[in-house]
Amino acid sequence: MLGKGGKRKFDEHEDGLEGKVVSPTDGPSKVSYTLQRQTIFNISLMKLYNHRPLTEPSLQKTVLINNMLRRIQEELKQEGSLRPMFVAASQPADPLSDNFREAQPAFSHLASPSLLPADFVSTMPLESCLTPASLLEDDTFCTSPAVQHDGPTKPPSPALQPVKDSFSSALDEIEELCPAPTSAEAVAAESAADDSKAQPSESNVHKPEGLPESRTAESKLIDPLPGNFEITASTGFLTDLTLDDILFADIDTSMYDFDPCTSATGAASKMAPVSADELLKTLAPYSSQPVTPNQPFKMDLTELDHIMEVLVGS
Amino acid sequence: FLGAGGGNDIQWCFSQVKGAVDDDVAEADIISTVEFNHSGELLATGDKGGRVVIFQQEQENKTQSHSRGEYNVYSTFQSHEPEFDYLKSLEIEEKINKIRWLPQKNAAQFLLSTNDKTIKLWKISERDKRPEGYNLKEEDGRYRDPTTVTTLRVPVFRPMDLMVEASPRRIFANAHTYHINSISINSDYETYLSADDLRINLWHLEITDRSFNIVDIKPANMEELTEVITAAEFHPNSCSTFVYSSSKGTIRLCDMRASALCDRHSKLFEEPEDPSNRSFFSEIISSISDVKFSHSGRYMMTRDYLSVKIWDLNMENRPVETYQVHEYLRSKLCSLYENDCIFDKFECCWNGSDRQVEFLTLIVMTGSYNNFFRMFDRNTKRDVTLEASRENNKPRTVLKPRKVCASGKRKKDEISVDSLDFNKKILHTAWHPKENIIAVATTNNLYIFQDKMN
Repeated sequence: MLGKGGKRKFDEHEDGLEGKVVSPTDGPSKVSYTLQRQTIFNISLMKLYNHRPLTEPSLQKTVLINNMLRRIQEELKQEGSLRPMFVAASQPADPLSDNFREAQPAFSHLASPSLLPADFVSTMPLESCLTPASLLEDDTFCTSPAVQHDGPTKPPSPALQPVKDSFSSALDEIEELCPAPTSAEAVAAESAADDSKAQPSESNVHKPEGLPESRTAESKLIDPLPGNFEITASTGFLTDLTLDDILFADIDTSMYDFDPCTSATGAASKMAPVSADELLKTLAPYSSQPVTPNQPFKMDLTELDHIMEVLVGS
Repeated sequence: FLGAGGGNDIQWCFSQVKGAVDDDVAEADIISTVEFNHSGELLATGDKGGRVVIFQQEQENKTQSHSRGEYNVYSTFQSHEPEFDYLKSLEIEEKINKIRWLPQKNAAQFLLSTNDKTIKLWKISERDKRPEGYNLKEEDGRYRDPTTVTTLRVPVFRPMDLMVEASPRRIFANAHTYHINSISINSDYETYLSADDLRINLWHLEITDRSFNIVDIKPANMEELTEVITAAEFHPNSCSTFVYSSSKGTIRLCDMRASALCDRHSKLFEEPEDPSNRSFFSEIISSISDVKFSHSGRYMMTRDYLSVKIWDLNMENRPVETYQVHEYLRSKLCSLYENDCIFDKFECCWNGSDRQVEFLTLIVMTGSYNNFFRMFDRNTKRDVTLEASRENNKPRTVLKPRKVCASGKRKKDEISVDSLDFNKKILHTAWHPKENIIAVATTNNLYIFQDKMN
């Protein structure tokens, strides 16, 4: 019996990616490795959030996908030390996290502000109680013991403390902009996220302890595991790693230079001119795939502009 | 098959196929488990609709010595019904995950069937006689007018058409928070274990209101959960020994005599990762989907996504054999991850126990995609790919080996990887304990193949 007439069961476009299975050590293929990793990350997120089955999802499958996401996060974090991107600190388990149950996935988009200079919030709150500011910290400034990286580590600058405060309040404001959606699908359902972001609402879940919105991604991930699994949100587990991290993974840092010790305002004024569009342009040469067709990224960038206005203005 | 050890490979012939011919598969008809009983006379299947269908082998027809008895439907019953968990607002599937037969002790047959949450002990018994000649009742059941009764008689048993009844004798419920993936009857035939993603419980067949937890890998903080239990089985001879496999590709052997809670394994079987094969999907494809002891208990076999491994219980650091089931899929893992095929749980099985003992043969069988299934002979080192398809349904026609062309020029009769139908997967197979008869389940059909008798 011969073949069944060329029935293709794979997504055709995947073949291009399949063909480029490379290891991270291949120099010129590093981009395609990054792309593959990016794709797998996206797929993993979609798997966790795209559908709510009527029956309990398979715990094994969820665990394996979570492990995949964790691994990619680790990799990105280690690579992140070489670039001034906001791969926010991955914090160890936070006792306060137990209190956090609501998903706030919308903020994960807002958390992206990779446009902001690392020094703007270089202070790393050393206590385990994390403020939203920790979201925007660069790994290089992170003093979390869990993270080993080769990048330059700079000590927190006391002068920036006041910045953190105003920054926190600014972020609180942003928090209010995005009411917690009832379902955890906001990451995948871009339009839903967009809607929620467009309606600032006081009824938004505003965590009094100032828990970082970085937990949103985390709680999202935990969300698919039904309540009886006794899942509580935790910090650090992919909190920081959002679609934006992938988006800006290979950004050209020469776009903006920064000095970690400059004052907040100075840095802010420096950063103001950088817009989301310009950033996108820098990405173009780095990916063989056009980034723009991804709707969520476009909407995120609009929101980023908005955040920047808020932050710079405050 | 010419007997002891080597000799010719088995020549498999199509024997029967059960199930709908329709290409349109009803969800409830999807076969989810297949199991021969200890004599091989009965073959049970469970499906997604919660039903169990038992086939019985005809007595061998002496005049038709060229084929063994056919399997015909013996009993069909609804084992599990869908339930609703009101606390979590989630449905509990009625799908039968596993069936395990108890050895026969009397005229009746017993089997354990389980869905995600509840295990049931079913008694299957025959009734071929019925009492006739009651004093107060007519034959049709109507009561007789007592005034018409003038004599007394003793009812006698008269033959009737065979009726096979299945009745639930025990229901073992409320012991599993997570989804049950395995049940295994102990060699003492009194106890059995049930395993879910995070825990393994030990039951006594007679006692339904309590079970003992013997393995618990649930972390205090569920966020730290990175590994789940995927399968478990009792050792065939040692009633205090069992193994369980994990999603990280490890197998732990535990001894219940060591402690009440077997949190510490006696042995840990794990093969170091081959660095040249490292990929994003290394962990996922290492997840073990099935573990089975050989008849002697000296070996065990594990199935992960791409391979079957045979382990010697005396050697923990690597398997003694590794068979590649469909290595050509290694370059397709990203697509298989996207369409979820990478999470398919293939089972594996050994050749019949009698043959293992008598002829010292060790053959393993496992399924693949495109309705292909594979066999590996440990002694001859040969392997074969066969297909379960209605197109080969001429009895006594030997199945033609199939070949998948991984890349490059496709030879005649080969099938290219891209033409494989990933919706046609063979996850469940079973081997008759005594004869070379195998049952292979496609999505909704059950194929029975026999070796060509001379």
